[in-house]
Amino acid sequence: MRPVTLRRVLWTCSALAAVLLVVVVLALKLGAVPISVTDLALSLGRVAIGRSDQLPSEYSVIVFGLRWPRILLGILVGAALSVAGTGFQALLRNPLADPYVLGVSSGAALGAIISLIASPQFPLVTPLAAFLGAALTIAAVYLLGQREGQLDSGTLLLAGIISASFLSAVIMFLMTTLAGRDLRGMAFWLMGDLSTPLPAGLRWILLAGLLGAVAAIYTTAADLNLLIAGEREALHLGVDVTRVKLVVYISASVLTGLAVSVSGAIGYVGLLVPHVMRLLFGSDHRLLIPTAALGGAIAVVLADTLARTIVAPTELPVGAMTAMAGAPFFIYLLRRRLP
Amino acid sequence: MLRRLRSIAIGSAGLAAVVGALLCATPLAAQSSAAPLETTDETGRHVAIPQPVRRIVSLAPSITETLYALGAQDRLVGVTDYSDYPSEAKQKPNIGGSINPNLEQLVALKPDLVVATRALNRRETVDALARLGFAVYATDERTVEGVLVSTERLADVIGAHERGAELVAGLRQRLAELKRTLEGRAPRRVLFVVWHDPLISIGRETFLADALRWAGAESVVNSSQDWPRLSLEEVVRLQPEYLVFADSHAEQGALNFEALRERPGWRNLDAVRAKRIAIISDAVNRPCPRLVDAIEQLARQLHPEAFADKQAAPAECASCAR
Repeated sequence: MRPVTLRRVLWTCSALAAVLLVVVVLALKLGAVPISVTDLALSLGRVAIGRSDQLPSEYSVIVFGLRWPRILLGILVGAALSVAGTGFQALLRNPLADPYVLGVSSGAALGAIISLIASPQFPLVTPLAAFLGAALTIAAVYLLGQREGQLDSGTLLLAGIISASFLSAVIMFLMTTLAGRDLRGMAFWLMGDLSTPLPAGLRWILLAGLLGAVAAIYTTAADLNLLIAGEREALHLGVDVTRVKLVVYISASVLTGLAVSVSGAIGYVGLLVPHVMRLLFGSDHRLLIPTAALGGAIAVVLADTLARTIVAPTELPVGAMTAMAGAPFFIYLLRRRLP
Repeated sequence: MLRRLRSIAIGSAGLAAVVGALLCATPLAAQSSAAPLETTDETGRHVAIPQPVRRIVSLAPSITETLYALGAQDRLVGVTDYSDYPSEAKQKPNIGGSINPNLEQLVALKPDLVVATRALNRRETVDALARLGFAVYATDERTVEGVLVSTERLADVIGAHERGAELVAGLRQRLAELKRTLEGRAPRRVLFVVWHDPLISIGRETFLADALRWAGAESVVNSSQDWPRLSLEEVVRLQPEYLVFADSHAEQGALNFEALRERPGWRNLDAVRAKRIAIISDAVNRPCPRLVDAIEQLARQLHPEAFADKQAAPAECASCAR
């Protein structure tokens, strides 16, 4: 494996950013209302030279008012989930860890729903509640996943599955007994949905939280490489294991909470993308974390574009698309690991 | 160490630059118009509606019906799923379901007014459209009187004041007549069956509960939830005098009453054994002018003796009778 240098990180990220750009342009072009390449190029060109007022208004609304915010949301959510997955996989030393599989997304969803029921007038509390839900769930799963004092891979996954189904049942209970008329869209949101544009305030919270948490995880990248080999080994090599685990635990929970609070539970992105990136670029976290962020953005924007277009004018929830791709991949990983 | 720090710094700076550049969304140019109508809709939102209203998109079947009743069909440029009454409405461009309408298609229809209803549409949809610069007027009907007021207000908003006043005056007259006819009669205790499997009925806050009261009935279910799911056991305990079903021609898996009579639980109901079942137009499910037709139908089925000296159903109802 080639050494990870700054040069290599930059080149790889630039290449992925270029792929992301292509996917974004594709996502801007495709949709229920056909827009020709010429019209799209003209629109983009006019916006680029600051003359957006000359656009035919319905094109500008569709491209810049509907598709663009949705693509942005997809980029942020995809990056968040993918980096969260990378973090959980390293933290738990389990390649099958993923916010969705471990029930962390369900925990975040429950937190978000409780905040929406308790204080519907403060939508900005939702991400915080989702973060708390995510953090509590992963702590519970971590404790349940131990066997004779050791973190056991199979037990951990079972703990995640059990937590997810328990939390889903609680969500179902709350929605049946408490839901007033304004929680109607919840079923949609639970499947993972990017179709509702964000309020501006939430967008900035999302961006700030995402960048902060990704940066925090990145500071532990070199230590994570050692931690993968085993906690004791890492400790002997001078890694402050407790601090690293705490940083990754909080950051990954923040990322999951943010992603779920704005888009519901989009599954398997945090599982699929880090693995593909490992196959492509190796498992050094200094390269894996940034590439997973970009890869997650690409995957979710692509999945959402498919979700918007394959049965247009009806839209599928993006979570259905990612699960269709992710679940078989999960089984593949599981089979490969079993003797 | 230095290299690592540098790579961190550059890595995060690069990520920040990419995401930051992508984040600068372009605000949309507002649509220009002369002297818009400033009003507050029934959910308390402030709306500026361009006048005259030329292109309307309806986000619910009941709104579509109301717009037809107000004679605004030529200005109606888009509807959502199940907009099937009158049948011409099926020919209008469809933009998907009421809960998740396709916003792109809605935008492409270039409406100058979008009409939503709180009973069916999502707040998020309304807010998203408002942020895009569309005038969205939302109705919120919780009683039969509310439906009438709502119809009048919508008529004013789209500049059809006289048509609306005339329509509503007619409906009020019919309701007053009905009230006189049913004067002094004890209300029938009924179970309104929204769906039979699972069994879903209505809560006390819905316009349907109020519609039942107008038709000389009261719901045996007294739930604070709008669409409570009931157990059959509870219904057997309550023993309603009548079961009321809304006839849905369109839905697959529509109810087969003969089969229902054979089912355990259902066959233990006095109302089922005595065939005290009222089937009325599915208009009862829609907070629109045709609701009054359904109320009259129901009243006739529940209190036939009160109508003994009257002629058959009024002409308006011929189209919705089974």
